[in-house]
Amino acid sequence: MKKRVYRHPLMVRITHWLTAIALVVLAMSGMQIFNAHPALYASDASKFDSPVMSIEGMDSVDGPQGWVRLGQHRIYTTHVLGFGPNGEGGESVRAFPSWATIPAYQDLADGRRWHLFFAWVFVICALLYARWAFNLRPTLADIRALPAALKSHLLPWKVKPEAHLNPMQKISYFGVVFVVAPIVILSGLALSPSVDAWAPWLPAILGGRQFARIWHFGGMIALMLFFGVHLAMVTLTGVWNNLRSMITGWLVVDSGGAK
Amino acid sequence: MTMRRTRFLALAATTTLAGCAGIATKLTENPTFHDVLGWPERLDLAILGAGQPLAREYKESDVATVFRSNGFDPPADSQYVAWSRDDWRGYRLFVSGLVETPRSYDLTALRTKFERVEQITRHDCVEGWSVIGKWTGARLRDVLADVTPTADARYVVFHCMDNDGAGDAYFESLDMHQAAHPQALLAYELNDRPVPIDNGAPLRLKVPTQLGYKSAKYVNRIELVAALGGDLGQGGYWENEGYEWFAGI
Repeated sequence: MKKRVYRHPLMVRITHWLTAIALVVLAMSGMQIFNAHPALYASDASKFDSPVMSIEGMDSVDGPQGWVRLGQHRIYTTHVLGFGPNGEGGESVRAFPSWATIPAYQDLADGRRWHLFFAWVFVICALLYARWAFNLRPTLADIRALPAALKSHLLPWKVKPEAHLNPMQKISYFGVVFVVAPIVILSGLALSPSVDAWAPWLPAILGGRQFARIWHFGGMIALMLFFGVHLAMVTLTGVWNNLRSMITGWLVVDSGGAK
Repeated sequence: MTMRRTRFLALAATTTLAGCAGIATKLTENPTFHDVLGWPERLDLAILGAGQPLAREYKESDVATVFRSNGFDPPADSQYVAWSRDDWRGYRLFVSGLVETPRSYDLTALRTKFERVEQITRHDCVEGWSVIGKWTGARLRDVLADVTPTADARYVVFHCMDNDGAGDAYFESLDMHQAAHPQALLAYELNDRPVPIDNGAPLRLKVPTQLGYKSAKYVNRIELVAALGGDLGQGGYWENEGYEWFAGI
């Protein structure tokens, strides 16, 4: 037996899609901004000689090289990171390649324009979302049911849509809205010298202004991982049904016998 | 997962991203859309530009041994070079425009006439890096008070001696509220020594509550005006290149 359940209220559907657009734009324009100085430092001011992570490249007589430097280690990533497509038909020394940045060609000013516009979209959506996501705060029962839910997701393509969010969904959505999003937003604010004058405690609790870049970058990676898993689950559990439900609000589920 | 499927997924992901980048790049080139993207600046200025909170001041031990420099090459004209070889004796800062009494100052006048103010602050470059330095100089507001701005003066424009190599000189601007900030400094010393040429000798602006490009180097003329626009364009060299006039973010 199939039945239709009203799963997503209008406000959630609107903010969901706006957030999706904002996340893609923020990640891609953020990589554009990162390209202007592709190095992270675990301190307040930059320690130029000892970045925690940097993306570097060079074009030598032996051919181009691009690499990611993590402390003393180098991971070669030529043609993708460090040396790659420049958006003008060729390749050059460039941290993130043109296909991953907004705009495609190197332009810090326009990258910042996109980023600082969609940062507002993201913040407003996150606040509206928080109202809904608060209902998802995991209960003791959710935590008890977690092992069973995990087990049922070992074969993700066998997962069936359900009328209610399962504990894993609740915990991950709640975590994204109440842990990762605040980290990304606060660490982004800490990069602003004017915000720092208003709230000197903000960069301080994050380990300094440059350390805030690490939080901001790490938060972005966490969001992208969530995004990837989310897309995979949406696809594997009935892509049309899921997409339709996030547009109309109605999800088709197996009414089965139980519940 | 098989190698083929991994490769397919990687290709699908990069193609999708490239599609997004392509659409966004086209939109960026649309003037109307470009303007819309700039809207939040007014909101940011309204929120963060109110009040005069102070940028954090650091300890002597936090000061970087080398203050990274960025921007155009130092001025190379014969006059600048001659001044630099003569301890800046010929240099004067001109303050004019919408003021009751236009004046000019040599470095000795700036050092003796106005209170000597020190600040150890962090310089945040728009590129993303930060460096801490100790700056000594005269408060901008003290210098402005000495020339008495007229009632219709709304912006303070800083004309500089460096240019982009194509003939466009560096310049910057602050509004009167920003110019009155107690940490807005006309600095003649960096780390207890005359400002080095790379860092803007003999005199540079320091505005620690905004990004580095606001802190114009090689300042030689301050002009008070009623409005930006016209020759002043968006109010600064980088502003004319699309960067925000309010460099607080």
